[in-house]
Amino acid sequence: MGVISLINEVKKQKILYKIIIAVFCILFLHTSVYAKNSLKIALTGKYPPFSYYNETGELTGYDVDISGAIAFELGMDADIITTEWDGILAGLLSGKYDVIIGSMAITKQRKKKVNFTKPYYYSGAQLFVAQEYVENIKNIKDCYGKKIGVNLGETYEHYLRNKHPQIDVVTYKSTVDIFKDIKNKRIIGLVTDKMVGSWQIKKSKQAIFPIGKMLYKEDIAIPIKKSNPKLLKKINIALEKIEKKGIKQKIYDKYFTINNALKDETQANSSLFLFKILKGFAITLFVAIISLFLGFVVAIPTAIVLNSDKGIIKRITRFIVDFIRGTPVLIQLFFIYFGAPQIGIVLSPISSAIITLSINASAYMAEVIRSGLMSVPYGQGLAGRALGFSKTQIFVYIIWPQAFRIAIPSLVNSVIALTKDTALISIISVGEVIREAQSIISITFNPIKYYFFVAILFFMVTFPLMKLAGKLERNIKKKGFEVD
Amino acid sequence: MKETLRKRDLKLIKIENISYTFKNGTQALKDISFDIPQNRITSIMGESGSGKTTLLRCLGQFIKPQQGTILYNHKNINNIEEKVYRSKLGIVFQNLNLFPHLTVEKNISLALNKVKNTTTDEAKQQTEHLLEKLNISDLIAAYPSQISGGQAQRVAIARALALKPEYLLLDEPTSALDPATTKDFGNWLIQLRDDTSFIIVTHDEVFAKQVADNIIELSHGMIATQ
Repeated sequence: MGVISLINEVKKQKILYKIIIAVFCILFLHTSVYAKNSLKIALTGKYPPFSYYNETGELTGYDVDISGAIAFELGMDADIITTEWDGILAGLLSGKYDVIIGSMAITKQRKKKVNFTKPYYYSGAQLFVAQEYVENIKNIKDCYGKKIGVNLGETYEHYLRNKHPQIDVVTYKSTVDIFKDIKNKRIIGLVTDKMVGSWQIKKSKQAIFPIGKMLYKEDIAIPIKKSNPKLLKKINIALEKIEKKGIKQKIYDKYFTINNALKDETQANSSLFLFKILKGFAITLFVAIISLFLGFVVAIPTAIVLNSDKGIIKRITRFIVDFIRGTPVLIQLFFIYFGAPQIGIVLSPISSAIITLSINASAYMAEVIRSGLMSVPYGQGLAGRALGFSKTQIFVYIIWPQAFRIAIPSLVNSVIALTKDTALISIISVGEVIREAQSIISITFNPIKYYFFVAILFFMVTFPLMKLAGKLERNIKKKGFEVD
Repeated sequence: MKETLRKRDLKLIKIENISYTFKNGTQALKDISFDIPQNRITSIMGESGSGKTTLLRCLGQFIKPQQGTILYNHKNINNIEEKVYRSKLGIVFQNLNLFPHLTVEKNISLALNKVKNTTTDEAKQQTEHLLEKLNISDLIAAYPSQISGGQAQRVAIARALALKPEYLLLDEPTSALDPATTKDFGNWLIQLRDDTSFIIVTHDEVFAKQVADNIIELSHGMIATQ
């Protein structure tokens, strides 16, 4: 079916004719085996709760279940292909799959290219409030003068500020944070996508309920190529059937219906989560160790320059070090990650992280080493000179070993501070521990537990370092070094 | 007695008409001339501000007098390479500057190893010999922070002597020592003068008289007595 229509269409394009014949032959072989009982369906697999991989790595979600139900009604197997959202329509048009059951909203632009089935669900902006406000708040206008949470960057913020400026809108980085603040009574509710919001509330097991109708609504339907009206008709019939049989409602309830007797069908696989966090932490430590090492290597010559007498090189170095120490690491990170591509250097997130943290580490360590060098008495160099050592020998055998010993406790403190700074790199999507934790929290809605676990991991590394710093300091004092 | 000794003198260091003026205009040394004989202990005495430290710095090649010359073996020291000159003339500073991160043994053997290029083993052996000869073998494994002022003074001298200089310049060697220790130290030093010539800058008259074969007294940048 899909194959035949494809051929009809491309026959018009004579240049491609021969290629199409070849493709036809391959597809004929293919379809003769599979086509009769397989419907090729595309979705992203990255849009919980519509399509996503659950804790056991299984593709699941509302769209996935709807796909299965439709294919069943058609008497076919659902052959689900996951693909990126960008280009998902192009893939349909080029015949890579027959339909997209991927929560696509009907828009005028899309309608020009493809046919849509009847909507299989509706979504849009929905107001939700905590249980204690359900009595008093019956619509959005009842929220005037009250605090409502939205996710930063979502269209709902813009919508509320324009249409209901009387509402005190509070922005959050994630829905998880919004739920926490509803619990903390900082806000009374939230506005978000009706379907996604319902699912998140269900997962979080919090008593939060939708109020009134959707503030605005989108029709979600299945796009099919215009050259395949037969399939469009068949699927519309299938949608009607699953609706009548109550299958659609069952699927809906599975993901979205909020009730207080919730059963968590996807029991959190804690050991898998812990493994993911540990893996993320390994990346964090890797980035920290590499950055600290590179930073240290750069810090030594920098400190020597800073400790020199005068000159333009010293002044430039001084300024750079001050600038790095005086600006937020977060902004330096953005600067390298987003700025470098502007001058033609495209860095991976992890390289950007390592470069930024190395530069940062070198500035802090240079300062520590410089103060170590300064605290070696002038007479030490003089004595070395009197004994006939060369300048390099004086530095290597006399000044540096003392400066380093004096600097060690402060250096270890820098290492602790910089290791903790590594947590910032999640912002440029390095898959380190914070990012892993965030992704787990977006499914489990348990930020306290997982962030606490991450904090403990950091502490397990930093605590021995702190002890070490203390011990080294005592040892150094015992040997008669001056420590500031 | 002085006459007979003088005949033996080789007069390796000859100071000729040197003057030194600081940038602020203070004249520290005014036209000073004298000889420093070999195999002797020469003491340069004077109150603070008399110019003795400036003279020591000139002798140590750390600063250059604006006028006059210092001859070492008939050669202007300004024309002698620093490294060569340092091997001939050792200096022990007032605050000794022992290396706190190294043991006594390493303090001494480091220069033998790195400057004189002897092997590590040989440097260690030489150090052990020297410490034995100087009666301070028991300090070999100690760190500078673990020994007394008098011991540190001896170690600092041992460190300089290890390189076998012809002259050894000591700056206020007794400043940190009590009178009894000073006396012991003086006796210890006298035994060493046959191998090395000492130039001792000090304000301690008792000590100078105890150890010195000849005393040069500085006052206001000029020689008071010789």
